[in-house]
Amino acid sequence: MQRFLDPATLARISSLDLIAKTVVDGFVAGLHRSPDFGFSQEFAEYRAYSPGDDLRHVDWNVFARTERAYLKRYRGETNSLLTVLLDASSSMNYSSHSVSKIDYARFVAASLFYLAIQNQRDAAGLIVFDDEVRNYIRPSTRVGQLHRLLAGLEHAEPRARTDFAKPLHHFQQFLRRRGVVLILSDFFEPPENIVRTIEPLRFHGNEVVLFHILDPREIEPQLGEPVILVDSETSQRMEVTPEYAHTEYRQKIAAHIEELRNRVRGAGMDYFLLRTDRPLDSALAEYLTIRQERN
Amino acid sequence: MGFLAPWFFAGAAALAVPLYLHLLRRHTSTPQPFSSLMFFEPHTQSSIRHRRLRYLLLLALRLSLLALLVLAFADPFINRPAASVATNKLLVLVIDNSFSMRAGSRLADAKREALSVLASRPPSERAQIFALGSGLEAMSQPTDDSRALEAALSAIRPSDARGNFGELSRGLRSFSNSVAGPIDLHFFSDMQKSDMPANFADLALPEKISLTLHPVVKSAVANWAVESVNAPGQVWNVKKARVQAVIAGYGTPAATRTASLVVDGKTIAMQKVQIPANGRATVEFNSLNVPYGFSHCAVRIDSADALPADDISYFAVERRDPQQVLFLHQASDKRSPVYFGAALGASAESAFTMESVAADQAASLQPSKYAFVVLSDVPSLPSSFENNLARYVSSGGGVLIAAGTAIGHASRIPLFGANVLDAHYYANGPGGYLTVGDVDPSHPSIAKADRWSDVKFYYAVKVDDSGSQVAARLTDGTPLLLDKKIGEGRVLLLASGLDNLTNDFPLHPDFVPFVEQTAFYLSGSERPGGSLLVGSHLQLRTAKERAVSVEVVDPEGRRPLSLQQATTAQTYQLNEAGFYELRLANGRQDVVGVNADRRESDLAVMSPDALSLWAGKPNGPNAAAPSHTAAAAAASAPEKFSPHPLWWYVMLLVLLTAVVESWVANLHLGVRREE
Repeated sequence: MQRFLDPATLARISSLDLIAKTVVDGFVAGLHRSPDFGFSQEFAEYRAYSPGDDLRHVDWNVFARTERAYLKRYRGETNSLLTVLLDASSSMNYSSHSVSKIDYARFVAASLFYLAIQNQRDAAGLIVFDDEVRNYIRPSTRVGQLHRLLAGLEHAEPRARTDFAKPLHHFQQFLRRRGVVLILSDFFEPPENIVRTIEPLRFHGNEVVLFHILDPREIEPQLGEPVILVDSETSQRMEVTPEYAHTEYRQKIAAHIEELRNRVRGAGMDYFLLRTDRPLDSALAEYLTIRQERN
Repeated sequence: MGFLAPWFFAGAAALAVPLYLHLLRRHTSTPQPFSSLMFFEPHTQSSIRHRRLRYLLLLALRLSLLALLVLAFADPFINRPAASVATNKLLVLVIDNSFSMRAGSRLADAKREALSVLASRPPSERAQIFALGSGLEAMSQPTDDSRALEAALSAIRPSDARGNFGELSRGLRSFSNSVAGPIDLHFFSDMQKSDMPANFADLALPEKISLTLHPVVKSAVANWAVESVNAPGQVWNVKKARVQAVIAGYGTPAATRTASLVVDGKTIAMQKVQIPANGRATVEFNSLNVPYGFSHCAVRIDSADALPADDISYFAVERRDPQQVLFLHQASDKRSPVYFGAALGASAESAFTMESVAADQAASLQPSKYAFVVLSDVPSLPSSFENNLARYVSSGGGVLIAAGTAIGHASRIPLFGANVLDAHYYANGPGGYLTVGDVDPSHPSIAKADRWSDVKFYYAVKVDDSGSQVAARLTDGTPLLLDKKIGEGRVLLLASGLDNLTNDFPLHPDFVPFVEQTAFYLSGSERPGGSLLVGSHLQLRTAKERAVSVEVVDPEGRRPLSLQQATTAQTYQLNEAGFYELRLANGRQDVVGVNADRRESDLAVMSPDALSLWAGKPNGPNAAAPSHTAAAAAASAPEKFSPHPLWWYVMLLVLLTAVVESWVANLHLGVRREE
């Protein structure tokens, strides 16, 4: 299985559809059979009615006995709503090996879409952003949705710079229904800004998960001699010494990750660090865990 | 310490290049994109300092490399006392084993003296033994093993080669290039005067060679020798064969010697000959009664001198029956057979007998029975004979065609195949005749004639000379003698007649050698004289005769050629006096008598002045003093220094530095590649 989830191996597959199928099929084949991950018409639970729920799903027998409206849920109907927010800023184009961060994010998103739509019958949508919302595909379970999502991923080419604040109100506008919101980004912003910007997404009852995608050389840069580095978003140039990159920088990036993790979790969201040289199964497992908890 | 080429220090200016590259030139590095610089801080000052520190080792290595290279080209040396250099000295002993060293006990004396020099050398000193015959032959490797050197010395045998002191100097000049230290050369020889090269400067030796001469004789010795023998290689009529020998005396008084003609070990004739003081005399034997086939012949004298090896001269003779020649002529032509037959009989030592036949009676004749065929102005032949003749030529036969006035009226020359373009009657023109203009003196038919310079040609047929070799032309350019190869055979065309009407050639003295050489050429039976000199080369095969085995048996009865050499060798050098038996690639058997060069028989020695001049010691007779005398003289002289070159060590350092520099530079480049 590991072979199918290796990013370097996946990078050699040109079709995103095939990549997603390869990853998910490989991943699912490696799991033990479990009733939590299947489709059936078995009764699952009663859930209290909340405004906006479809009245057709209210169990009127229960209402007659208790005068309270409950929705009868089956396993086949415990669908969730998956929305992926993909950061397509220039910094996501960085790569120190065969897989760039944007490619890795595409693989993760495509695999999650495939898993959600094909295996879990979940509705899935996509928002591609940098400093603006560049593409929005409404969550749906309709036929062809997976194809639309994968096409949206294909066209998500990195450009401009990341700005969470600017497109925030668009996010809130799009995410009116509850569901799982996955944000794929390198999060090169101060953690408090990130959390402050993203936190409102939770208020609608969404499960928000931050997938922090970083290249291994961004965490542990290897410089043999002083070099001039150019910021891919701001084009700023800076001469950097190996000593600094090997000591202070590593401390700073580690502190940044730690602070981001703490702040995100403190805000009731989930945080997950993905290195682009690691297999994809951890991202898929994370999603399924969250989904299971929701159901 | 000094420098042999100090001007190369100008190359030190090249040191500025790495200095410029490392310290003065602003380092530029290619900017590398990075996702975000939010966690970086600029450190420009420290980075520059770091870069300079880091490249100092590489800079130092590069500067050292260039400096060492310049130093190596400047050719440094140190002066070391000659005594300390002497530890590298090579003792070279050269023993003359040329033919003259066979006289008396010369070679034994030379070897004995060489042994004493070997014994007196320091035990750690290396030595090498050479023999000087026709060239310098190494008998051992440089070694300090006394037993090996003595064995090499005793292995030297007397040879029949002619010595040449010029070859000694030439060989030692090239040998000294491969020896690092000085060479102490000792030459043991009879110092024969005739072994000196024509130019005394050819004896010059490099400065690193110190020469000590060891003459084994002090003065000339009287010697008689059979200097030369003039004998035919082939004999057809034993009564007509003549053998002439020249007996020479070198430094001898007038004396009477007995010369003997020996055939296959039996003396068949003896003659007394008076030899003047220090002069020569000729003795002639009027018959050479040898059996059919090859005979080992020799002329021997009873000299009773110190060098008996030159009292005999070997030669080989082959006796054969005369071969028949077919001469075809017109029935009306009575002149040409007479002239040609007379010339053939007067020459060629009766090797050929001529059968003269009118052309119209030739139908039943078989050309293959004859050594060669002559067509004297025959415009047409019986068809059956012409066909036979064509086959005869194709299979290797030879034909001489003389084109007289009858052929001039024909359009085509039979057998030769060339068209008749014109017939010139020079008798009617101004002057009345033409002479020969261009001549190819290398052509066998003309080689022994005197260019036919006075022969008058009144008539000639002009033929198309395409496809044939023109050996002679008349002064107006008309081809006179044409040579054409047809198949394996050969056809010669004389564009005039063999009678006395179209030219006066038959009456001219050049006619006889022309007929003789043409006969041998066309019949292919010419055999060179049966004796050669030691050192000459014998052709075993032509370029076409590849992969055909030949056989050589030397005078000792050995077969000196290996199996591979027997199928590939083109020539063979004759190294010994005596009889060599051969089977050549063309299948012919042959026997050759080989004699030593008679210049070796003159046992006059070089003058003491010449010897001292050669040895580089202008003190006269002391030049050839033993080495210990020279050593004593050297000891009394002020201490000498000799330059000891150091460039070799410097180049080793250059190599070492280059390797380290490559390694260090690769480290930096490797880091860059990784990034």
